[in-house]
Amino acid sequence: MMQNYDIDPSRRRFLRNLGFAALGTTVAGCIASGKDDDTDKPTGEMTYRTNPNTGDTVSILGYGCMRFPTLGMANGTDDQTIDQEAVNRLIDKAIESGVNYFDTSPAYCQGHSEEATGIALARHPRDKYFIATKLSNFAPQTWPHDKSVEMFENSLRYLQTDYVDYLLLHAIGGGGMENFNNRYIDNGILDYLKDLRAKGTIRNLGFSFHGDIEVFDNALAMHDRGEVHWDFVQIQLNYVDWNGSKEESKRNVDAEYLYNELHQRGIPVVIMEPLLGGRLANVPIAVVDQMKERRPDDSVASWAFRFAGTPEGILTVLSGMTYMEHLTDNLATYSPLEPISAEEDAFLTRAAHEILSNNTIPCNYCNYCMPCPYGLDIPAILTHYNRCIIDGNKPTDTADPDYVAQRRAFLYGYDRTVPRLRQADRCVACGTCVSHCPQGIKIPAELHKIDKFVENLRQNKA
Amino acid sequence: MLRYIRIFLAVIVFVAVIGVFVDFTGTAAGWFGFLPKYQLVPALLALNVVAIAVFAVLTLVFGRLYCSVLCPLGIFQDIVSRCRIAVSPRRKRRPGVFRFSKERKVLRYSFLGVFVVLFVAGLFALLPQSYAGLLDPYSIFGRGVGQFAVPVWRSAVSTAASTAADHGAYLIDGEPAVSPFVWAVAIVAAIQLVIVAVIAWRSGRGYCNAVCPVGTILGFLSRFSLLKPVINLEKCNSCGSCGRHCKASCINTKEHKIDYSRCVVCMDCINNCTQGAITYTVRRKAAKPAQVTADAGRRSFMVGAALAAGAGVAMAADKTTDGGFAPVKNKKRHSGVRATVPAGAISLDHLRSHCTACQLCISACPSGVLKPSISPSNFMQPVMTFTEGFCRPECTSCADICPAGAIQPIDKEEKAVTKIGTAVVDVTQCISAAYGQTCGNCARHCPAGAIRMVKGENGNMRPTVDESRCIGCGACEYHCPVGSAGMISSEQAAIYVEGVENHRII
Repeated sequence: MMQNYDIDPSRRRFLRNLGFAALGTTVAGCIASGKDDDTDKPTGEMTYRTNPNTGDTVSILGYGCMRFPTLGMANGTDDQTIDQEAVNRLIDKAIESGVNYFDTSPAYCQGHSEEATGIALARHPRDKYFIATKLSNFAPQTWPHDKSVEMFENSLRYLQTDYVDYLLLHAIGGGGMENFNNRYIDNGILDYLKDLRAKGTIRNLGFSFHGDIEVFDNALAMHDRGEVHWDFVQIQLNYVDWNGSKEESKRNVDAEYLYNELHQRGIPVVIMEPLLGGRLANVPIAVVDQMKERRPDDSVASWAFRFAGTPEGILTVLSGMTYMEHLTDNLATYSPLEPISAEEDAFLTRAAHEILSNNTIPCNYCNYCMPCPYGLDIPAILTHYNRCIIDGNKPTDTADPDYVAQRRAFLYGYDRTVPRLRQADRCVACGTCVSHCPQGIKIPAELHKIDKFVENLRQNKA
Repeated sequence: MLRYIRIFLAVIVFVAVIGVFVDFTGTAAGWFGFLPKYQLVPALLALNVVAIAVFAVLTLVFGRLYCSVLCPLGIFQDIVSRCRIAVSPRRKRRPGVFRFSKERKVLRYSFLGVFVVLFVAGLFALLPQSYAGLLDPYSIFGRGVGQFAVPVWRSAVSTAASTAADHGAYLIDGEPAVSPFVWAVAIVAAIQLVIVAVIAWRSGRGYCNAVCPVGTILGFLSRFSLLKPVINLEKCNSCGSCGRHCKASCINTKEHKIDYSRCVVCMDCINNCTQGAITYTVRRKAAKPAQVTADAGRRSFMVGAALAAGAGVAMAADKTTDGGFAPVKNKKRHSGVRATVPAGAISLDHLRSHCTACQLCISACPSGVLKPSISPSNFMQPVMTFTEGFCRPECTSCADICPAGAIQPIDKEEKAVTKIGTAVVDVTQCISAAYGQTCGNCARHCPAGAIRMVKGENGNMRPTVDESRCIGCGACEYHCPVGSAGMISSEQAAIYVEGVENHRII
């Protein structure tokens, strides 16, 4: 009876809404700052950092190829096919503006990211940019040696290249040491990758990390013992995670610790989630006020990017830019980068506390949890819930004069964003999603909490 | 003047009744929910003494005003014949499109006889009362609105609301419930409406005076009404205009006589008499000329399409990439299971013998739980399905609105402890009991706390139902992933509600 599932390509409301949300915040930011022009926005030269291993000169802004635009975003449908034309335009603009680091994975965009990235990049000289991709052998059926090798060879084919500049073991830490060993050690894949580096097929070998600190420490111990040389490491870093990640999720590790461990070993650091999936572009209004008071012309997002780019050991900061506005705003922030001052640093620490205190669920909408085998639209449910909290639209008390309006906004928005059969009440707590969540969110528990909240709201009990 | 008052009232009633059907927010039902209760056949079934007394007095004083002002199907016919008048060429010399016909006594009383037989058979639950409801004008109208106007309105509102929501304005609480459209019922509704409309087009109130049992019953009283249109022979010039404008075809202009058993006091004859020879008065006399027009033209009905549902089971590898959706589908009902009917219906037989299948409760159900039955034993009457929603604890919409007393008023507290059915577990399909998957979604959502997960013989957790606590709301069936998750091949839930014959307090 239990059968495998496939991706249902017809339902794609979430991405559209997320797109609107991200667009909304970014555009608002741009308009507020008077920088609504798509072109000629950067004021100077892009900041570059040097990779001590290979001498690569890498732009501080790296292009994350995880959130490419879809045709559905342009024509208002549920079409999830990647909008290759738009991707080409984005990547052309990025390269023209000095961006030279492109980060993708066989898992991204339902498996189509590498192909789209390859198509766009192949139109430019190969020595103008660096390609980073990953060995995303999460599923047990990809653990055998030949399956993982096949995955890497497919990456080369999709990316239309015969070498990869940066190759990452994808998201080690999830599933602990056992998972790490299964994926890379016991099947001899790490040795295989080291061989490829020796041959030049891989120029830099590193890993990205989420989750269990034991795996991170162990990987660095391997480095110290000389078993493997990590040319770079990719970590999650932003002003909320710097030393407040524990507040957000028990499984998270403070970025300050990770960064210091790497920096003292001279390993260049690539930053992911500088904006927490857009969450740091959409912060409580009190924080917005303080940011605008300090730098009225800068977008809210720019603070997060400046923070992430400030430490000297950072090689590049990845941003999953979906729209041209995202790209131009980031180019403005990094051309050149104006480092965060000590006073600003203290301010962002306070802002982080404020952001964490609003009880949102730390979902970055990365879609790693999807597809949920039972058909739930997990990111859309969490997005809607978070948005209502951030906008102060979460109804809490029936006696509140705003209760009726808030209830209406919440329920209507919920039904509209998430089809009934994909809502939180369908969650059976199978737990498939939990191991996939890089933020360590206890997704079933959160969904059941939201389900209960919605049910009370429907019953007018708040 | 009298004619305009009549049209004014009729338009209000017509719009209000349609509003009660289509307005899923319940606002119109709050204001005009009493109107369906003032319909003769439902009032008889509900033993609504006040309404029946009102009808008797109304008819004895004013004649068959009910047919012109209160009956939505009567107003509908006026609209149709008004449309006909609007498209007919205007003749200067002999205006009007109708002509006198004799009372079709055999037809009229035969239909009344059939109705009485069906009605009595229904009362004794030999047949569902919906068969008598096939002749009830209000129910005919209700089925038309319920099957066509409601789905169309819902999709229109849904579209408008999502447009408004794009601009941050939330017009409604949530998406309207799924469409109550059911092919078999829609076909019956369409056929009946078309027949009525064709008759109305050809001969005005022909249906009311030859077929409608309500018209015939009221006709017994209206012969003796205090006020009636009277022809003043001294003023009448025998032009025949009143007869040609009489949509009830009840003015014999040759003999200057009006058949008051058929007259629906539309006042068109009075309005069209150039001689002022017809007056609405206490006195009785014989007649002379007059004219007729019908009513203000209005809407036509549209046919809504049913929503297709359900994705098939797809095959693919394990999760290797990020994003996308697993398929979901709408589950199917279990067949051969005793029907479940809403709290307030008292018993299956009570609903069966009182419901004329007007579809009002079905239109009012905000959860999409009530659907017209297609089984001959309760044809077109509401039954509960838990495939697209469950009977929500905070809602008593159907009981509040039922005009026929088939679903009696009930409060939330009583409903919460009224047993209308019992959940039954199919352990062979349950993903927990049979396949050892984590689930318990039925237990998690049971508002009565009646479903417990216990360890089964095979070591898997299996749901069990405490039948003494279970009220049959269907939350378990609705939330069961079996039948709705696309990766599971079953089409029906692994837990479902079987109705009880007699509802009871637990």
